[in-house]
Amino acid sequence: MEASFGDLKKGQKNCQRTVPCQYFAPQKIEEALEILSKYGKEIKIIAGGTDLLVQYYDRLYEVSAWLDLKNIEELKEIKIDQNQIEIGAMSTHTQLESSADIKRYYPILSQAASDIGSPQIRNRGTIGGNIVNASPAGDLLPALIAYRAQFKLVSHKEESIVSAEDFFLGPKKTILKFEQLLSKIIIPIPEQNTYSSWIKIGKRKALMVATVSLALVLSMAEDNKIIQEVKVCLGSVASTPFEIMEIREKMIGRQFKQLDFNELGQLVEDRISPIDDIRGTKGYRQEVTKNIMINALEKIQETWGQSQND
Amino acid sequence: MTKLKIELMVNRKKRKIEITPSTRLIDLLRDDLQLTGTKEGCGKGECGACTVIMNGELVASCLVLAPQADGAVITTIEGLGSSDHLDPIQEAFIESGAVQCGFCTPGMILAARRLLEENPHPDEEEIKRGISGNLCRCTGYQKIIEAIKLSIARLSKSDSGKAK
Amino acid sequence: MSEKYIGKDILKVDVQDKVTGKALYPDDIYFKDMLYLKIKRATYPHAYLRKLDLSKAEKLPGVVRIISAADIPQVKNFGLMIKDQPVLVGIGQKMRYMGDALAIVIAESKEVASKAVKLIEVEVEKLEVISDPLRAMDKNAPLIHQDGNILATHYLEKGDIKMGFAEADLIVEKEYRTSFLDHVPLQVEAGVGIYDKKSGVITLWVATQWLHDTQADIAQSLGLSKEKIRIIQPVIGGAFGKKEDISVHIHLALAAIETKRPVKLIYSREESMIAQSKRHPFIIRAKTGATKEGYLTAWQAFVIGDTGAYASSGPAVVHKGMYHCTGPYNVANVKGVAYTVYTNNTYAGAMRGFGTTQMAFAYESQMDILAHQLGINPAQFRLQNAYEIGSSTPNGQILTHSVGVKETIKEALNMAGWKGEAQ
Repeated sequence: MEASFGDLKKGQKNCQRTVPCQYFAPQKIEEALEILSKYGKEIKIIAGGTDLLVQYYDRLYEVSAWLDLKNIEELKEIKIDQNQIEIGAMSTHTQLESSADIKRYYPILSQAASDIGSPQIRNRGTIGGNIVNASPAGDLLPALIAYRAQFKLVSHKEESIVSAEDFFLGPKKTILKFEQLLSKIIIPIPEQNTYSSWIKIGKRKALMVATVSLALVLSMAEDNKIIQEVKVCLGSVASTPFEIMEIREKMIGRQFKQLDFNELGQLVEDRISPIDDIRGTKGYRQEVTKNIMINALEKIQETWGQSQND
Repeated sequence: MTKLKIELMVNRKKRKIEITPSTRLIDLLRDDLQLTGTKEGCGKGECGACTVIMNGELVASCLVLAPQADGAVITTIEGLGSSDHLDPIQEAFIESGAVQCGFCTPGMILAARRLLEENPHPDEEEIKRGISGNLCRCTGYQKIIEAIKLSIARLSKSDSGKAK
Repeated sequence: MSEKYIGKDILKVDVQDKVTGKALYPDDIYFKDMLYLKIKRATYPHAYLRKLDLSKAEKLPGVVRIISAADIPQVKNFGLMIKDQPVLVGIGQKMRYMGDALAIVIAESKEVASKAVKLIEVEVEKLEVISDPLRAMDKNAPLIHQDGNILATHYLEKGDIKMGFAEADLIVEKEYRTSFLDHVPLQVEAGVGIYDKKSGVITLWVATQWLHDTQADIAQSLGLSKEKIRIIQPVIGGAFGKKEDISVHIHLALAAIETKRPVKLIYSREESMIAQSKRHPFIIRAKTGATKEGYLTAWQAFVIGDTGAYASSGPAVVHKGMYHCTGPYNVANVKGVAYTVYTNNTYAGAMRGFGTTQMAFAYESQMDILAHQLGINPAQFRLQNAYEIGSSTPNGQILTHSVGVKETIKEALNMAGWKGEAQ
């Protein structure tokens, strides 16, 4: 009886997708910009696809043209010199996680990359995609702002450089125009005595969208005792990742060992007004933000304390 | 341009195929190439059932457009071993009782495979991280971790065997 | 025979197929000329369907047929315990949760089916959405089904509850709430169907946990004899109770009969979450009495199980939960009442534990609170109240064998290295 059905897999292929669509995968950035200027809003730019294909799940037929950046080698390079690092927008999270230069100069960018999704996601997802997608929970974004990253935006007509903190306008909203591409991320090499800490809170260890995240980058003066510069940036507690500016006056110019961690934690909590959503309530986020600010300072104290003993 | 010709190496075989650009890699593998060992559990990169190895890297084939895989070298579960000649990891999964409903198994085995290629002697934490993109709802993972540990022993034995 | 298997490693019959990717799950079956289905679902959790406009969807190239309730007047409701689920909601009928099906789209490809579903236009007359079972139990609450929102009430009585509380030196009364849970079997609901014109037999390759009940339910719904429904169980990608209920089955059968072509239906994960069963959220009010020596004297339980829009296994799950209100602890005097209540939430059904895991949250919390207030080590408190051979459960069952709770507690303490309550 079973045999009457024959091969249960013989019918493949008749489920072919039929809706027409165009696809471009240029080798050069200039070609990509030409295509962009021609198709404008009609074309979808695809990098790693780990956000885009989730958004378009079950409605890929709505995309009438794709611009795939996979063949543009220049977008995959990570270059470093004495003053800065340039990270091509197509660099994957796995690259960020494993790059020796990034580990050395921007340890929390590397850690944030290693906290993203899963091996499968990190192998495909890119830094450029993470930025352009502009999720309030985007894992790389607080660290990028804290390290004073700048983004290079290019179009067929012009190029510009913009600071990370000026780039994000709201959830999924940025200043990027439809004819523009984000080509690279430029980050200055941090000062000698720079310490940093990254904490991401969520419900599990993998494949987790942050409920709250915090990036703290702090540099000391030459004496390695007085704070010269600090940035505390938060994710998932507002419509964009952002810096708590009020922290600066409480920390810059002070002796690190005289800081009141509790007070600073409270200050961070007082400066945020998160929302309730599926990942956490407002109250939970406020309390946790305060705690992770304190934890971040404690972590820095540990490494800084070691350098004091040496 | 409705159809796009792409060429890729799947399980050591060269495949030339015409697809529409919005085809996902998982659909290409399952619908066009009849490689239904690659499973779809969520379609959003959360479950890992669709995991394949592409150009030496673990990817979720539901989050890759087929044209993105043009020119790629891909290994699916069908490329790992056959019933008469199982891969040591497949054997270890069987022996450790790491297979229940089996829906996560192809992706899980490929994740294990990739992990052991990169790091032949992972510790338990590294094993957990290596399979962190693959959900299993039946086993509670313990037996899967045991199977991977057993694979480590098997593979290092067969390597030293080769050296002799 | 037993010597052949006991104490030996026996390989699963299908394990080789599973590790090589050869095992065929419903989604892996493909036939020539196969059509793809997609279900248009409710647009509001509680509403009368007033208009269903299929015209735009029907015009889409590649759409073969769209079936709505008007096409199948002979088809009856289905359901595991009570036939309260409509196959398709018709005009003038009610949608009761977001998973209710309004139309079956049949198309030449998955892509066209997905596209067509979004072109179906629906007009509804909205009703009050009841998402809280306590609201559903209000006297003035609108009725989700005509016979009332309380689907079933079960009672439990053992010993003399008044006397039990009179004997108690300490009484703790608390309310506990548990949430919806999805089983998330790694494979979503999926199946393939074929109709044989000559014999009139519908063959379905679908997952089910109740092969014969599913066959009977499909047959009664379609008005066919059971012999006309043949279910072939492919390899199942997990179930955990979720695949006890009918999902793709009847829709596949209808589409196969209608088109005379092989048909396939696969839910998306979201659809599976919205449309298919859940673990019941419980509201549990527990009142427990104990002597100052730490012996339980009385336990009163008031249980509400939110079964969502349809009964599924609800009445069985909720009253079974109540029977376990004392957990594995001896209590001479027990009283309980359990309500299985309809709401406009996704319907709840069977899930591993069948009502007892929800109760565990309540009774183990009660035990901890009592132990703490009595100043007794919580492990000792459990040990001195735990079941043993000869104990009787709240519904009067005498336990005659396999009572391992004390050994389990001792071994758990041992393995956890637990020394006592943290101060």
